[in-house]
Order: sequence, then C-alpha cells, then structure tokens
Amino acid sequence: MAKYILKRVLLAIVTLFVLTSIVFVLVRLLPGDPFSNPKMTPEIQANLEAYYGLDKPLVVQYVTYMKNVFQGDLGYSMKYEGRTVNRIISESFPYSADLGIRALCFAFFFGIILGIIAALNRGKKLDFVCILIAIIGTSIPDFIMGSLLQYFFGIKWRILPVAQYTSFKHTILPSIAVGFYTLASVSRLMRSSMLEVVTSDYTKTARAKGLSEFRVTFKHQIRNAITPIITIMGPTVASVLTGTFVIEALFAIPGMGKHYVDSINMSDYTLVLGMTIFYGAFLVIAILIVDILYGLVDPRIRLSGKKG
Amino acid sequence: MKKRVLAAFLAMAMTVALVTGCSTPGSKESSDSGSSNGGGSESGGKKRITYTLREDVPSMDPQNSNSISSASANIHVLACLTRNNEGEVKGDAAEKWEVSDDGLVYTFHLRDGLKWSDGEDVKAEDYVYGMQRLMDPEVASDYAFIGYILKNGGAVNTGEAKVEELGVKALDDKTVEITLEHPAVYFEAMVSMCSFGPARKDLVEKYGAEYAADPEKAAYNGPFVMSEWKHGDELIMTKNPDYWDADSIKLDEICIKTVAEAKTGVAMFEQDEVDITIVPSEQVTQYADSEFNTESYFTGADDYIMLNQTEGKPFANKNLRFAMNYGLNRKEYNTLVNYDTYVAAQRLVLPDVTAADTTYGEAYPFEPFPLENDEAKAKEYLDKAVSELGVSSPADIEVTLLTTDTEGAKKQAEVLKEQYEKNLGIKVEIDQVTYKERLEREQVLDYDMVVTGWVPDYSDAYSYLELWISDGQYNHSGYNNPKYDELLAASTTETDAKARQDLLFEAEKIFLEEDAALVPLQLRQDTYLVNPKIENFNVYFVGYDFNLVYADLAE
Repeated sequence: MAKYILKRVLLAIVTLFVLTSIVFVLVRLLPGDPFSNPKMTPEIQANLEAYYGLDKPLVVQYVTYMKNVFQGDLGYSMKYEGRTVNRIISESFPYSADLGIRALCFAFFFGIILGIIAALNRGKKLDFVCILIAIIGTSIPDFIMGSLLQYFFGIKWRILPVAQYTSFKHTILPSIAVGFYTLASVSRLMRSSMLEVVTSDYTKTARAKGLSEFRVTFKHQIRNAITPIITIMGPTVASVLTGTFVIEALFAIPGMGKHYVDSINMSDYTLVLGMTIFYGAFLVIAILIVDILYGLVDPRIRLSGKKG
Repeated sequence: MKKRVLAAFLAMAMTVALVTGCSTPGSKESSDSGSSNGGGSESGGKKRITYTLREDVPSMDPQNSNSISSASANIHVLACLTRNNEGEVKGDAAEKWEVSDDGLVYTFHLRDGLKWSDGEDVKAEDYVYGMQRLMDPEVASDYAFIGYILKNGGAVNTGEAKVEELGVKALDDKTVEITLEHPAVYFEAMVSMCSFGPARKDLVEKYGAEYAADPEKAAYNGPFVMSEWKHGDELIMTKNPDYWDADSIKLDEICIKTVAEAKTGVAMFEQDEVDITIVPSEQVTQYADSEFNTESYFTGADDYIMLNQTEGKPFANKNLRFAMNYGLNRKEYNTLVNYDTYVAAQRLVLPDVTAADTTYGEAYPFEPFPLENDEAKAKEYLDKAVSELGVSSPADIEVTLLTTDTEGAKKQAEVLKEQYEKNLGIKVEIDQVTYKERLEREQVLDYDMVVTGWVPDYSDAYSYLELWISDGQYNHSGYNNPKYDELLAASTTETDAKARQDLLFEAEKIFLEEDAALVPLQLRQDTYLVNPKIENFNVYFVGYDFNLVYADLAE
C-alpha cells in the first residue's frame, strides 16, 4: 500500500512539473506581452523587461523560475505592482474556498435529499417536481441563475443583499448560484442509484425479514446508494473550491476566479503560472486522494498496478 | 444503535454550523452586524462616500501608478506641488511658483509646516526623489513617458544620463526647481499628476518593491490617508487632519469597492449600498429617464479609425481616405453602437480641452466632416480613388478592419462594415484579435484600418496632435506631413498662448481637411449613478477620473 501511494505521489509531482513547463512556454506564445499598452515605448518596455528579468534568454528565465517555485516563491505579479503571486492567492483563495464549501454543502445536502425523495416517489408528482428542479439546474447557466437570484431576492423583494461577501446573509445567494448545477447532478445520480437499490434483492430480503420501512430505507437503501456520489466529489470539490469566475464577478466577491481570466488577458506571466500551478496542484491532490481511497476500498486496483 | 445516534447528532451539528456559525473570510466579527457600509452614511456623525471600481486599484505607488484608477486614488492621499480640480489649477504643497521668461524653469516654493502622516517634515527633496524615481530605469515606471518633458528625462530613463542629472533640484528644504526640455503651458497642470508626486526615500528603501502595497508601507501628505486596503475587495481612505487645507475637506471617509460587474454596481446603488457607480452603456437611457440621479462626463478618450498610410496599403490613397470620412454616418453609428451615450466625433481634438482662457472647441469651432454621410462627396472621392488605384469598381477595393475580440468591439466592427459596404460598395473584412495582439499589430503597422483611440495626459490640444508627428513614438499610421511637423515644432517654442493655439489649430486643419488622415468616430462619455446628496464631486478627463477631495454630503 505504501508503495502504491508513493508511486501516485511521484506521478503527481511529475504531472505538475510538466504542466508548469508547458504553460511557461505557452504563455509566452500569446500575442502581446505584459507591458503592452497604447502608451508604451520601446525604451520604457526595455526597462520593464530588465526589471522583471524578461530580457534574459528564455532558458535562464525558466531555470530561475523553477528554482523559485521549488522554494515556494511564485514571484511578483506584473499587473499588481508590489504584490507577490503567493500573496494574491493567499488573499483571494479563502473567499473562493469559503464560497465553494458552502455551495458544496448546499448542493450535496439538498441534492441527496431530492434524489431520495424522487426515487421513493417514482412516477408520482413529487418525482416530477424533483426532476424539474434537476432539469432547471443543469440547463440554466450559473450567471443567469445568479442574475435571477439577485433580481428577485435582492432588488424586487429586498430580502437579501445583492452583492459582496461580508456576512452570512451575503453568502446565501452566491452559494445557491454556484451549487445549483452540482445539486442537480447529485440529485439525478442519487435518484438513479436509489432506483437500482430499491429493486435489488437485498431490499426484498430486508423487507421479507420484516424490518420497518424506515430501517429498510436508511440502513439498507441509502447507505448503498450513496457510494457513487462519493466518486464525483473529488473533481467537483477541486473545481468549485478554486473559484468561479462568473459568480464571483457577479456578486463582487474578491475570490480567485477573476485572476484566471484577467491574468491571461493581461499576459501577467507570473500570475498565469501561479494560478496554473495552484489549480493544478489542487486538482492533482484531489485526484490523488480519490485514487488512494479507491485503492483502500478496492484491492483489485492496487493489485493490477503491481502487475502492470 | 450508538453509532446511529452519533451519526444523527453529527449531521445535526453540521447543519447548525452551516446555517449559523459561519463567519466569512475577512469579515470583522464586531463591526459586521447591522452596519451596511455604503449609502452615503452619516451614521455616527461620519461622512462617508463609497464608489465602485471595476477592478482593484493596481498600485498605490505614485510613480508606478499605471492606470487612471491608481492616479485617481493617489490624488486623494498625496499633495503634489499643484492640484488640479476639474481643470482649475492651484498650489497644493507649493504655495507659489515662478516661471522663467523662456518658460523653461519652474521654481516651486513649499508651504510652511507641511507634514507627512507619520510626522516627518515634507521636504523639497521628497519631490525631487519622486521625480527621479519616475525616470530611474531601475524603477521601470510604466508612466515614465510623461516625465520626458523634464530636462534630461529621456536620457535618464534610457540610462544615458545619471539620475542626478535630471532637471529637478532641491534648492533648499522648501524650494524645488524644475527645468523642462521645452516650454509647456500645461506643465503647471501636469505636475499635479501623481507621477510627479513626492516619495519617501527612507520608506522606499525599507519596503523596496512593496512600497505602498499596503497602507503602512507608505506615508501620505494629502487630504486623506490610506487606512485600509483589502486587496480585491475595498480600499478605504480617511481624512488627514494634518493636511494643510484640512478645513476644506468635508468627508471623513472614502471607500473604493471592487465590483467587477457594472450591473452589480447598479443593483448595489439601488439598494443604497454604494453612492457612485458607473452605468453600463446599454442601461444609460433606462436610468437617465428614471428617478435616479445620473451624471455624464467626458473621459477624454477620443476614438477613431486609424488608417494605415504606408506605401502599398489601400489607405495610402488620400481620396480613399476622404471617401471613408464622407461615407460614414456617424450619427447612425453612435445610435447603433453606443445607444447615443457617446458623442459622435467630427474632429480629432476633444473640444473641452483648455485653450488659453477658454476651451479649444469654443475658440476654434471646426466640422471638417458631416455628422451624416454625404453621398455625393463620398462618390466623388471614391471615383477618383478607384481610377488612381487602377481597379474597375469599388467592389475591387478590399480592406481589413482590425478590431478587439470583445462583444462591444464586434458590434462596432459590424456596424462599420455594414455602413461602408452599403455606402461605398467596398469590401470590408473583419479581423478580431485579442487586445494585446491588436496593440502589437498597430505598432508594427500590420493592418489596413483599426478602431483605436487616445486618452490625453494633459488638457491641451497638443496632447492629441503630438501623436501624428511623422517620427512620433505613437504614430502607428505612417502619416507623414512635413508641414504638420513644422507647425507642431513651432508650437513648442511659441510663448504667446494665443499664437500657440493658432498653430495647433492650423495643424489639426491640415491633418483632417487636407489629409483626411483618420476617421473621427466618437468621444467617450461615462455615465454614473450618483447619490443626489453628494456635492462637489467631479470626473475629469486628464490625470484622474474620480475626484472626491472637496466633496461633501448634504444633510
């Protein structure tokens, strides 16, 4: 088992290294450069390039950058004067993560409940209501959902604040907007997985034993049906926690989302790379954990790894 | 059984935690409850105004300030030598100043008893150091170009001269002497920009690249001090009681909120959470007709279609350039693209810029091209162009319109294409690229025509006209007219204000009336929702946009 984990960790590090190298080259192939603006002159551009070390050969820059990255230093942003990329991430990530966790709690909690209700009432009115919610969730893009929530709850009924992220009240609308899509997919997955379980032999056996309907549902059906939900958690957590561009912009939340898009538009090389490394590491770790969990749960996976 | 009870308990605990105990990151537990922070609040006797910006202020370092939002925030926390309030220039840190007869040497005398927010004395040396920083190649300021007007500015910035050779000296603790490369009537206004502002050598040396990156990493001598900066969220400036003119400052606090989405800003305004916010152009008409108070201001940005006049390119042909100008219906364009929120431009220079003691537009009215297209004239010029270019019909003239890949730019390009194909019968192809690529292609003259523009750095016609000097740094059109160059050169040495403006107007006339060197398109205007209680707030087109220095909240 230890060997399996070690192998996965090494692979994760190599993945990150390759990813960083590719992005390092790609970002420089983008047209324009971090300093181009309508008033830039060649002389001032030369000063700026020297300041950020961009006048050195690309290989030298690459080696310097990699050395710094291994020491945990992602360098200074080129757009935000005097702010390190480490700092930008550490200031904005808590907002994105906070929003993400709330959204996930909302999505998984209500998604699972909706799925169960739908499955237990298959073909009845309640089932259709749940399916309808799921369809709405998967088909309405998050920015429309966000705008609608803002309009009704914020402007029309004035129940909740339209934007910002300063108190619990402020977090409700963005959490729903971010989590609704996940809620819909979780509820659909839960419903189908429940339906499989409902018709299974062990459910029949449990009923035949004379167990109460409550015990059959909770002890036998839900426990078994919930396993597939865990498998989709890894990637979902990574993507939701690292920020959502549209919702953060819409609700004026100072999270990480905007930096993904802005840094590329502005050709802020260090910020693009920093964001890539951070997101990459997050995703790789999430997948790593899922892989390890699989290994623990299902011995066939590590055995096949040994053979290959 | 025990396990089940535990599980149920945990689930309950989680739900409770989810609903109640959550504090958001960055929120202060105490001040959080109850107090919404905007809405021109006078709660607790504090006068506070909140305005929104689309992005976080990129830098508060005056010399590394490279955007209008940085410059606007900086004029609130710094006292430069002079202060520009909507074009009216008066002494700020400088009590008075003299200009030499040749217009080259400015001697500024600082007021008595000026203090930095940390208690240090403000010295002439701080201003000298600020300007040296601006030009120092090691500091690599984006905005160094503005200081090329200082004697040896260019030489210092390119490393040919030492920083000490810059034409800025402290004669004593209270006198700054500035020598210019050439006389400039607009220098008094220009020196109010934060690029020429003071900097603290001891703090710069202490914090290095992080100077002014946080409130405590700089000192302030302006009407306000930066008291809090939550990056990406809000920047708060509080009144500086030690400012020399503190009696004229009425506000206690100014809060800049980062709100990326303009529509969100508008929603926040409607909920009384902010006092000033920009209105997205498609909503301007809606709000102008509403009960809310809107105000519109020129941003100074002057947009035009730049035509590549290098040899071999279609627009090297003068008659084709005239046809482009007469074949455009600027009125219809402005309605379709800007919902009439901008002003259709018929000339190059923003009419609002200063000219001696009036505005340029009033002193020199000029309409070289019509508001609506002139079919007859367009045809006349087009026919000439067709024969000169040696093609059989206008349809054989194919040009590419370079533009940015935003929604707005796309719409703009499509309206232009439609108009030119309909009104002139030429073929226009649209080439959408990223903003950075567009700039790059402009610089290497790899385009036929491109929608671009200019934002002036000082309120003077020269700021728009100097672009088109044949060897000008920013002349990316290939425009080259010795007569034009001569007029502009003459204007830099002319010391009589009126005669100088005449020369500049002459140049503008040649540029458009004789050469049709570009197609004027629009003068941009920004419209804001403004809390009607706010007094003395303004938005200006050079040096800053928001100015709340002398603002007040009515009871």
